Amino acid sequence: MKRLFFIGLFALLVVMTIFVWSKSYYTSQEEAYVALHPETENAVLTEEEGVFRRSKFANDYTEMNADFKGGRKLNEYYKNRAFHGAPPSIPHAIAADGVVGEKACLKCHQNGGYVSKFKAFAPVAPHPEKANCRQCHVTVNTSGTFVGDNGPRFARPAVGNAAFVGGPPIIPHQIQLHENCLACHAGPAAPQEIRVSHPERSNCRQCHVVNNKTMTDIGNFLR
Amino acid sequence: MAQKRIDRRSFVKKMAAAAAMTAAATMFPGIVFASEQEQGIPSGNLDWKKGPCRFCGVGCGILVGVDNGKAVAVKGDPNSSVNKGLLCVKGYHQTMCIQAKDRLEYALVKKNGKYVKTPLSDALDLVASKMKSTLEEHGKDSVAMYTSGQSTIPEGYVASKLMKGAIGTNNLDCNARLCMASAVTGFLTTFGADEPMGCYEDIDHADYFVTWGNNMAEMHPVLFSRMLEQKNNRGAKIIDFATRTTRSSMASNKSILFEPQTDLAVANAICYEIINNGWVNNKFVKEHTNFLKGKTNIGYGTEDKFKFKDEATKISFEDYKEFLEDYTPEKVAKYSKVSVKDIKYLAAIYGDPNKKVVSFWCMGMNQHTRGTWMNNLVYNIHLLTGKISQPGNGPFSLTGQPSACGTAREVGTFTHKLPKGVVMNEKHRKLAAKIWKVPVENIPSKPTYHATEMFRAVDRGDIKFIWTQVTNPLVSLPKTGRYKAGMEKDSCFVVVSDVFPTPTSDVADVILPAKWHIEKGGLYGNSERRTQYWQTMVEGPGETEADAWMTIEVAKRMGYGDLFPYTKEGHVEEIYNEYRQFHEGKKHGMAPLEVLEKESGAIWPYVEGKSTQWRFKSEHDPACDQSKEFDFYGKPDGRAVIWQRPYEPAAESPDQEYPFWLNTGRVIEHWHTGSMTRRIPVLHKAMPHAYVEFHPEDAKKMGIRNGENVKVVSRRGSCVLPASINERGLPTRGQVFVPFFDENMMINDVTLDAFCPISKEPDYKKCAVKIEKV
Repeated sequence: MKRLFFIGLFALLVVMTIFVWSKSYYTSQEEAYVALHPETENAVLTEEEGVFRRSKFANDYTEMNADFKGGRKLNEYYKNRAFHGAPPSIPHAIAADGVVGEKACLKCHQNGGYVSKFKAFAPVAPHPEKANCRQCHVTVNTSGTFVGDNGPRFARPAVGNAAFVGGPPIIPHQIQLHENCLACHAGPAAPQEIRVSHPERSNCRQCHVVNNKTMTDIGNFLR
Repeated sequence: MAQKRIDRRSFVKKMAAAAAMTAAATMFPGIVFASEQEQGIPSGNLDWKKGPCRFCGVGCGILVGVDNGKAVAVKGDPNSSVNKGLLCVKGYHQTMCIQAKDRLEYALVKKNGKYVKTPLSDALDLVASKMKSTLEEHGKDSVAMYTSGQSTIPEGYVASKLMKGAIGTNNLDCNARLCMASAVTGFLTTFGADEPMGCYEDIDHADYFVTWGNNMAEMHPVLFSRMLEQKNNRGAKIIDFATRTTRSSMASNKSILFEPQTDLAVANAICYEIINNGWVNNKFVKEHTNFLKGKTNIGYGTEDKFKFKDEATKISFEDYKEFLEDYTPEKVAKYSKVSVKDIKYLAAIYGDPNKKVVSFWCMGMNQHTRGTWMNNLVYNIHLLTGKISQPGNGPFSLTGQPSACGTAREVGTFTHKLPKGVVMNEKHRKLAAKIWKVPVENIPSKPTYHATEMFRAVDRGDIKFIWTQVTNPLVSLPKTGRYKAGMEKDSCFVVVSDVFPTPTSDVADVILPAKWHIEKGGLYGNSERRTQYWQTMVEGPGETEADAWMTIEVAKRMGYGDLFPYTKEGHVEEIYNEYRQFHEGKKHGMAPLEVLEKESGAIWPYVEGKSTQWRFKSEHDPACDQSKEFDFYGKPDGRAVIWQRPYEPAAESPDQEYPFWLNTGRVIEHWHTGSMTRRIPVLHKAMPHAYVEFHPEDAKKMGIRNGENVKVVSRRGSCVLPASINERGLPTRGQVFVPFFDENMMINDVTLDAFCPISKEPDYKKCAVKIEKV
């Protein structure tokens, strides 16, 4: 029995040796080369990629009742911002001051959904990868002001701003940090007035272009 | 889904109100209306008129809302199976360009260096007499016409009839030479018959879409949306194979980048893998294909009067397998910078008999010094696996221009082409002579100048008269520096027909004011062999005239009136009915006008009242020999060709002195040279000027910031543009990308006029440049 075990073990070793040797031989036959660049570049164009980020939910959005009347109004949306384009403040009490990102805010704001405590749908963060939420978003702890101000307010854009009858509305805001269209324009938390009627068409910028690529008005093209 | 239904009247009212509100809301910067638009907002029902979109080769159906004789709205035609009611941003705003302030409304004749407003009739007299006197003094081949893949079918047809039938010269070529000539030669060499075998419905059936060097999200957005719909609904997969990361890459399931020009090698490696893994459809290959090889080291055509003729030699499957030994994934990975894993992944997609695959491509493969070969190679993949001519399975060559297929390819506005066949073929000349009612001797049997060579001939002084229509060559030709100087020479009389002033009209001796798209009737043919007809929707301003009618008027003035017996009101229809005779039969029959009037286009071959959606498979195509499953009837033996085509380097590659590849292309907001779309305020605001894209690491190494002006320099010329880093696109390291729409930032002064020796199509995607800080 013992003998058989040793013979077996020896045979196994021989087989393994042949296997290992032949594998290394064939590997050595491959021509040596150094890849000129890493195999993948893993490039991400934030401005372009964001558009498609939530398109996997597009069909769910489509199934949502188009006449759904719940959720915010555009007025409420703007009320929460110092000016059009400013980061919204946090309109609700928060559990602890020390928490950030995925441990707290993103629990509700990554994908949205109904929060019974607030009897509201949580708005979806267009940039959930920026986890230090409270770098830009602050809570409202007083209704008063320090001295008050009389500065002008930046007028917010009109809704339905098509350049041509029947044409698709133009994107009236800069898209930096707002590349993810469906985050704000689809789902139950999207303000009613700007909720898209066709969330399933995920390539939004096929039809909707920004109207202010440059920061100053450039006028029309004339030679 | 419960949708609130609103009727058309209230929809239009709502839209009008919204638009009026916006117009009033001037505090919100950016949206500027063309002046007439602000005044004429409609209040009642619009008259919606049907037609194809003016812009790309997808050929979306549009409905133009007309109110009091003005086009005031555009929407997608829900009855069109192409776009099913959806358009892209160019499409929605297209008609806004016709109201531009600098619209060409009257003929202009250059007198003592100044353009003088001239009655159209006088200008046409001058064009005809100049053309005639040039012919008499310098012979037939001293006059030329350069038209367009945006010309309508009647426009192309009368140009061909005038040049080839009446005058008797083959000096007719078009800008489609710059965009899909390689697709044509690819089809002819492999199948013997031009244009895709499949149709857009393939998108609804395919499991995989492989896009070869093709940013469809921007260039064919409506088709890309159809693909995305399939991706979201059915889990179809999009594989983006490109030299630059784009919007399409971002939306795809996988993006694979390769080193410019090595697509040739990767395609061969895919074939190697398919054979090596036993994924060949042996029955299909045995019964329906032949193996051929052609010449190698075929040159790049950068010298004047370059000549090349390919020679085909029969080879066996075994020879072909031996040839592919040079293209194992391991060998190809070294210079293509595509990993072995990715090559095998691509091959596995094509090789899986249970998966349906559509390959899409456009300019990446066509604007290639080995463009014909590249087209052949992708066909090889589909032929080896038998994935062709079936719903959801097939190679699909997309076109750039709205009638590159309908006019340039089918009517044949190339030097070697006739409405049916080629000038070299006596039978084809005889048919043309019969229908045109001219002596067959009139039609010369030798092709003359292809696009690039035509403008070289202008520069050399060989061409003394040139008439361009519906195109802007001094922005779109490669190496424009040379050709601009050539056109400016006194040796050549230049006539330019256009809607707007362009850098090309700047060098004209006579500028003819053309009607825009909806101001005239016409027919276009799109990428999926769909012919679409539209009637005049609005009147053109001033003395503008349809291009076809201006050609006819010149022909009459030259004494060819008998050959052009058309009426001004009915010429579109009369010409189409005459032209249809060329294509009679099961292989290319065109739908009659009555059908095109009612329907949103019909696909040819139109046989017994039905469009043929898939050619070459007898189940779908009545022109096939019904005893066989497949019949590639373009070839005499009914067999398609698997071509042995090697990898050869580009005409000019980066080196020490010029270390970057220069790639050029388009953006979603602008159509080609921007002469129309830049005059649409919405589009101009969204994309005001060109730029040069860098890989962030290249930019960092050179200390270039986003938006900073830099100079792109090649051996031909230079161009200053702002840098763009991580914005619209991301080229691979060692490559820069510039869109060509901007006439103020002329990147085509920098590009190289090397072309595919077989198709004569220039390569706008590859030349060597260096970057200088300014």
